[in-house]
Amino acid sequence: MIRKKTRAKAEISTASLPDIVFLLLFFFMVSATIKPMNDQVKLTTPKAEAMTKVNRKELIREIIIGKPINREVGDQEVISVDNRVIKKEQLTQWVMEQKETLPENLKDQMIIVIKADEYVKMGLVDDVQEELKKANARKVVYRTTPKL
Amino acid sequence: MKLKKREVQEINTGSMADIAFLLLIFFLVSTTILQEKGVSLKLPPEPEDQEIAEIHDRNLYKILVNSSNQYLIEDQRRDNLTGLREEVKAFVMNNSIDPALSVSPDKATISIKTSRGTDYKYFIAVLDEVKEAYYEIYGARVGMSSEDYRALDLDKPTERDLISRGKDGIPMNISIAQPEKTL
Repeated sequence: MIRKKTRAKAEISTASLPDIVFLLLFFFMVSATIKPMNDQVKLTTPKAEAMTKVNRKELIREIIIGKPINREVGDQEVISVDNRVIKKEQLTQWVMEQKETLPENLKDQMIIVIKADEYVKMGLVDDVQEELKKANARKVVYRTTPKL
Repeated sequence: MKLKKREVQEINTGSMADIAFLLLIFFLVSTTILQEKGVSLKLPPEPEDQEIAEIHDRNLYKILVNSSNQYLIEDQRRDNLTGLREEVKAFVMNNSIDPALSVSPDKATISIKTSRGTDYKYFIAVLDEVKEAYYEIYGARVGMSSEDYRALDLDKPTERDLISRGKDGIPMNISIAQPEKTL
């Protein structure tokens, strides 16, 4: 007599799938660093191709140049660091302060990322660069967006 | 009397996965991982401790941008930057062949000068073209595209070796002159 084996249908339980996906979701939500807010300056960075990545994120300090969002401040282009507007004469002081936050051996390795709006005049950008030279922070990266 | 049989109400969790997936994909797409990318440059030191280097005219490739964002490249008026990359490459890699171009790659210097009224965008456009020309030279020497060359990681020994092989003997001499008020 041939016995017919009743085959149980093999089904993968999908009950834990939502849990797995949620775990992934939380991972991405936590790991994705939210861009630091810039609420002082209007900014569209120019497009470029020859871009290189900066590996040492801890060495980066940012300077933003552009027209202020707040119209009451005026229509003149301003320099903004750490989300506050500063005068260019204060820039050297700021660079020195930032250097103090770095360990001794990395002080001269500091990288300044200049985020400037497309239509900022070169005069102002140069003034910033002159201040940087004075403060001996000569590694500069011009922040750009990739060309599509 | 009829006893109503109560069924246990269960919420269908079958679509939970779909909802979660949707959220996951939304976050994946919307969060750009903060990447610090840009065009890098090393500023020259302060004038007092700067040695004044005499550069022979043939070793200097002059690019000027005036306050109306017009280009003057090697004393010729230009409206756009088409072809600049090829010209820079030819200039750098001349190796004394053409008497008007550079003597050797290590002596070749690209000078970019802007006016105080130039828009930042146009300066970046020039700098980008010049740097890309150099990266194309570097990349070609190690058999890579400039894009792959730029993506090389200094922290990895094998890739660092490739970077130095590409650069060897061809320094990126880009001189940023201080903008003039009147130009």
